[in-house]
Amino acid sequence: MDAGHAVAVVTEAAHVVPSALPAALVLGPLVAAALVRPLGKRWPGVRNAYVVAITALTLLGAAALIPLIAEHHRVQSVVPALLGELTFTVDSFSMLFALFTSFVWFAATLHSLDYLKHEKKHDRYHTTTLVVLAANLGVVLAGDLVTLYLFFEALGLVAFLLVIHTETDEAKKASAKYFWMTVIGGFALVGGIFLTFALGGSGALEPLPAGHGDEMLRWAAAILLILGFGVKAGMVPVHVWLPDAHPVAPAPASALLSGVMIKAGAYGIFRVVTALFRPEVAETVEESLWHFSEQLGLVVLWIGIATMFIGVFLALQQSNAKRMLAYHSVSQMGFILAGIGAAGYLGAHGAMGVAGGLYHVVNHALFKACLFLGVGAVYYRTHSLDLYHTGGLWKKMPITFAFMCVAAAGITGVPLFNGFVSKCLIHHAIVEAWEYHELASLGIAEKIYIVTCGGTACSFIKLIGLMFLGKPKMEYGPEVKDAPPRMLLGMGVLATAIIALGWFPQILIRGVFQPGLHTWGVHGDILDHYLGHSFLSSPDIMSVVTAFALGFTFFFVGMKFHLFHLHAPRYFSIDWWYGQAAHGLIAGCRTIDHTYEVVRGATSLLLRRTRSSYATAVGRLDRQWRLVTTTLLTGASAPRDQHLMQQAYLLLERERQDAVRTAVIRAESLARGPGGPPDTGTIDAVREIAGYIAGRMMHERMGVLADSLRRGELEHAVTLLAASGDRLAKARAPIAAAALTLAPARMRGESISREVGAAVNSLLSAERFDRMMEAAAPVAQVALGRTADTLGGLRRALPTRAEIRAADARGRNRLERGAAWALEILRLAVSEFTQERTEWLPEHRFEEQAVVRTRLRIQRYARDISANVAIVFVVLLVFIAALSM
Amino acid sequence: MDTEATRSILPVLAFMLPLVGALLTAPAQRASVRLRNGLLLVVAAAVAVVAVALAMGVAGGAAYESYILQLTPQIWMYLRVDAAGALFGATVAVLWVLALVYSFGYMAGEHRLGRYYGFFILCLSWTMGVAYAGNLLTFLIFYELFSILTYPLVVHEETPEAMAAGTKYIVYILVGGTLVLLAIVLTFFSAGTQTFTNGGILGGGIERVRLLAIFWCFLTGFGVKAALVPLHGWVPDAHPAAPAPFSAVLSGVMVAAGSFGIIRMMFQVFGLELLQDLAVTRYLTWIASFTVLFAAALAVNQDNLKRRLAYSTISQMAYVVLAVSLLGTESTVGALVHITNHAFMKGGLFLCAGLFIRRLGASSVSQLDGAARRMPVTAACFAIACLGMIGTPPLSGFTSKWYLGLGMLETEDPLLLLVLLGGALMAAVYLLPIVYRMYFREPALTPDDLTQIEGREAPASMLGPLVVATALTVVLGIGASLPGMPVSLARMAAEAFFH
Repeated sequence: MDAGHAVAVVTEAAHVVPSALPAALVLGPLVAAALVRPLGKRWPGVRNAYVVAITALTLLGAAALIPLIAEHHRVQSVVPALLGELTFTVDSFSMLFALFTSFVWFAATLHSLDYLKHEKKHDRYHTTTLVVLAANLGVVLAGDLVTLYLFFEALGLVAFLLVIHTETDEAKKASAKYFWMTVIGGFALVGGIFLTFALGGSGALEPLPAGHGDEMLRWAAAILLILGFGVKAGMVPVHVWLPDAHPVAPAPASALLSGVMIKAGAYGIFRVVTALFRPEVAETVEESLWHFSEQLGLVVLWIGIATMFIGVFLALQQSNAKRMLAYHSVSQMGFILAGIGAAGYLGAHGAMGVAGGLYHVVNHALFKACLFLGVGAVYYRTHSLDLYHTGGLWKKMPITFAFMCVAAAGITGVPLFNGFVSKCLIHHAIVEAWEYHELASLGIAEKIYIVTCGGTACSFIKLIGLMFLGKPKMEYGPEVKDAPPRMLLGMGVLATAIIALGWFPQILIRGVFQPGLHTWGVHGDILDHYLGHSFLSSPDIMSVVTAFALGFTFFFVGMKFHLFHLHAPRYFSIDWWYGQAAHGLIAGCRTIDHTYEVVRGATSLLLRRTRSSYATAVGRLDRQWRLVTTTLLTGASAPRDQHLMQQAYLLLERERQDAVRTAVIRAESLARGPGGPPDTGTIDAVREIAGYIAGRMMHERMGVLADSLRRGELEHAVTLLAASGDRLAKARAPIAAAALTLAPARMRGESISREVGAAVNSLLSAERFDRMMEAAAPVAQVALGRTADTLGGLRRALPTRAEIRAADARGRNRLERGAAWALEILRLAVSEFTQERTEWLPEHRFEEQAVVRTRLRIQRYARDISANVAIVFVVLLVFIAALSM
Repeated sequence: MDTEATRSILPVLAFMLPLVGALLTAPAQRASVRLRNGLLLVVAAAVAVVAVALAMGVAGGAAYESYILQLTPQIWMYLRVDAAGALFGATVAVLWVLALVYSFGYMAGEHRLGRYYGFFILCLSWTMGVAYAGNLLTFLIFYELFSILTYPLVVHEETPEAMAAGTKYIVYILVGGTLVLLAIVLTFFSAGTQTFTNGGILGGGIERVRLLAIFWCFLTGFGVKAALVPLHGWVPDAHPAAPAPFSAVLSGVMVAAGSFGIIRMMFQVFGLELLQDLAVTRYLTWIASFTVLFAAALAVNQDNLKRRLAYSTISQMAYVVLAVSLLGTESTVGALVHITNHAFMKGGLFLCAGLFIRRLGASSVSQLDGAARRMPVTAACFAIACLGMIGTPPLSGFTSKWYLGLGMLETEDPLLLLVLLGGALMAAVYLLPIVYRMYFREPALTPDDLTQIEGREAPASMLGPLVVATALTVVLGIGASLPGMPVSLARMAAEAFFH
């Protein structure tokens, strides 16, 4: 087909015919799912029939697409919703997918009616099944990327309920892993879709235009899309959810998961490689675009090779039958991806790859579903899935055994079963790719392919041999008979299809693939060549025989040397690394939170400290300000001196009380001494007299302190007072003696004031409190040697404590004196202005104190007035000086 | 350019009706509780009807304005309803009605209800004023009143935590408000006018330093309300402390008011060309991106449900600012639509959280095990809202994320896609495990539970608003592109901003 003809074909095929059938196929099961629960609550039997009916109707609807597509090639439905419209476009390939999807769904639903007798929550299962059917059909029938994404996400998220159905701990763990991988895959997918928009795409499943964006962007978009779909498809390296999720689901659900849902991922990759990144068919095609498409195909091919090999390698290590089948799903996906990759690589000559990959999709759906259903039947009867602990079931469950053999023959590629056709097609595609550009690595790919086929054969020899043949390894009770009829019907339907597609490959090849490829302008004659010459030809059969030979060899060697029980260490498993990454993310978030809390705590601590230090500073300033103002206003540092005076008062008061107490005690002891009880009257008198004398002493001492306040030496005096407790106590004995002496006279009622006064005077003069308060500075401690030199040097260099204190006192006292002086002047001035000039009143008695005070005042007045006069004089001088300048 | 606006009384009604309602609350309460509830419901419903009518009118191509008060010869208090304001106003009004109906059930039996309802309906008035304000001064007046008069609602419970949260809230908001005032004064001084005009009122003739100062003052001032890191400190404390219906409003509308202010500021005070000249929006992009990821990371580690949702709000609202900072049509559409979508999703989540606290006594995530069995409807609504938050199609969250993504592509910086998808992934990490716990874990039984496992679902009066909010989430997603839906209004607004 030359370029011009190709363009004509493609333009003709781009014409789409509107029809409501695609939308109905998708929305039908969705709406029908709403009725399941109401029906199931009242009539479970009706519900079961209802569910089977819905799936059967869907199958019929998909079948009804066949004539439509045969006639019109492309059919489309448009539903206005979401961001604009939901588009459903059906071409041959979508129709194929829809057909086998609904077919397998029908079979699995039949099977589930009996299987679920072991499980609970049937309504949830059936509702979920219908919704997932709708979502799956939505994916394969989607016409643009947004619709595809919508249904793909719905598929992934709702299928979670299928995986977690049994709600065992294992199921919960597996479903959590499945869920997070689906979510991350969804994000990769939406990122890829965004990037296709950046590449100039319009969101339709058509080739992206050239010219927008660079190579990096194209690769980023392609990788993201492939990863996003690959998570669902079970592609290495994002396959890790599959081996856990498929076994824990109930068997019919596993059949659906493995058989159909992962094909949705394959469908996505298929569209990405062959629709989005294929250059448009045009008269002239850019070389670089073909190159990109080729490279992408090569990448997908190698991913497929890796997936198939890793899948089969890990499958051989499993002992749980379902887990083994799950790993085989991974491996078979590798086959499909290899086919699609080869198709991408070969471009216009890629018919074999497309046919092989998609044929294998259908085949795998059929035989994997049948295998899961069969294993489910075995579990239903024997409650065991362990390969090494069952056996000899071919006698107990013959029909199941037959169907399992058919399915195993399919998957291993026995001729005249469906797997043979698709595997040969893929093999031919790889060989063609190898010969196309003579790329040596593809030769290695082909060898790996053969080895994988051998491994697959080995694995199913293991399954059939260990589980069905041989001697039974456990006791079977009477309930271990064949599966119930509905299960057998489900399996039988699938087995029939397996055999039919094996005998008559032309149904699909001529009916679906050639017309579909035709619409892309791809050469389809090579498929005719295959059907005519290569099908059932000796090279193909020889490759199958080689595979089986390898299989038997692996089997015997493995069983002999127990190689199937080896397991790789933890670090080899990607699953473990993903788990570490997830835990790392959570731990990272925790670290960020802790750091943030620490920072926040530090900031609030800083703010609180700032606030408290601000408060302290304000308090301190406030106190200083009050000090200054009160000093300026009152002439004395009121707070400081008051405090000191209070201190002194306390000390002296204590001393007074002690003196009285001493006297009383002495009186008591004396009174008791000679004889008889103490005379309370005497003691009272002693107390009274001692109290009076001590009180006078205190009064005089306070007077001395008041004097020192006036002189400005109060602090010094109080310090000395505090230190001179002993000396004051010396007065106690004389006081006691005097009190005792004078007590009898007091008792007699005589006036003793003169004697008391004399006693007081003698005590005062003996004590000389005022001189005590003038004592010298405390004795300094003597230092020796070099310490003495250093200390001496320091002492000389620095001002002495006395100097500091004196300077301090001077400074403060200067302020006080200045303030006191200013206040005096002010007071005098005020009194001068306000006082009345009274006449000399002869009635006034002039006490000595008044005279002294007046004299003092006159002296002070004279001093101050002279100061004032001096100041006035100086100001006048300055004024005159200023004037004269 | 600006469409010709018709003078109409509807905007004035939108802000006067709740004022009247607030004044009548106390007398009505003295008469009877049912009278008060009825009065409030009527007022709120009337405002919702007015707001939706205005939105429909604007979607049809009209614009409405009202002059309220003349403050000085040059300055009027002036309301003008354009597409962005109509969308925001309709969102506010509908969410307020839902929160009010929920309050009737939730707050029954609490103390000082007269104060609560009075301020609740009063703040509706100020918020409508913020949505419909036509010039900067009107915006400032309503914005400040709104900020300050929601304080009694934040500290309603009067516990020590509530008072502390309220103090923090008011300090942050007042500082922000002062900065906004400063910016407005500078704007008026520089531009000579302060009416919102598409294309901006600040011209190029003003020196760059002053323009930058105005921009950063506006951004810091609104950023406090819009909860951009590092100005977000009030949000995680205020949300758990406030009663659940008000938390819903706080998350859905208050924080959005800050983002709304940023939108108005960027497009109707500065204008597109000026912003491109100044080249400051890339800093805004960085700040917003950091906020999205940082707040989401912090949310993962929170155990208190309301606190987790509060951090989620910070993260989602930063999406709005991020989208706006890209200066593209699609992303601005996404930003405006996201305000609406997020309001209903987050509102629904907070209403669910309130129900969990009331009916199950569960205020932290670890206490929510098995909640779905006892409160199936609530759990279902919670699950739908969570799926919407992470952007699952066909829910409304997908719509806003889609437009955001398209807008990011316009700037040709693929790293922003990482922020978008990373934020969505983190949202899944902090929201979906809650859903899983509710459905698939066994509840921890307490002695009095043993008699009452089933039948703890909330009464219909509280479930009603919740179901409506969830239904709106679904409808706004499936029917996103129908005419009259938020997307069309947002597109009109974006087109007006970008000519």
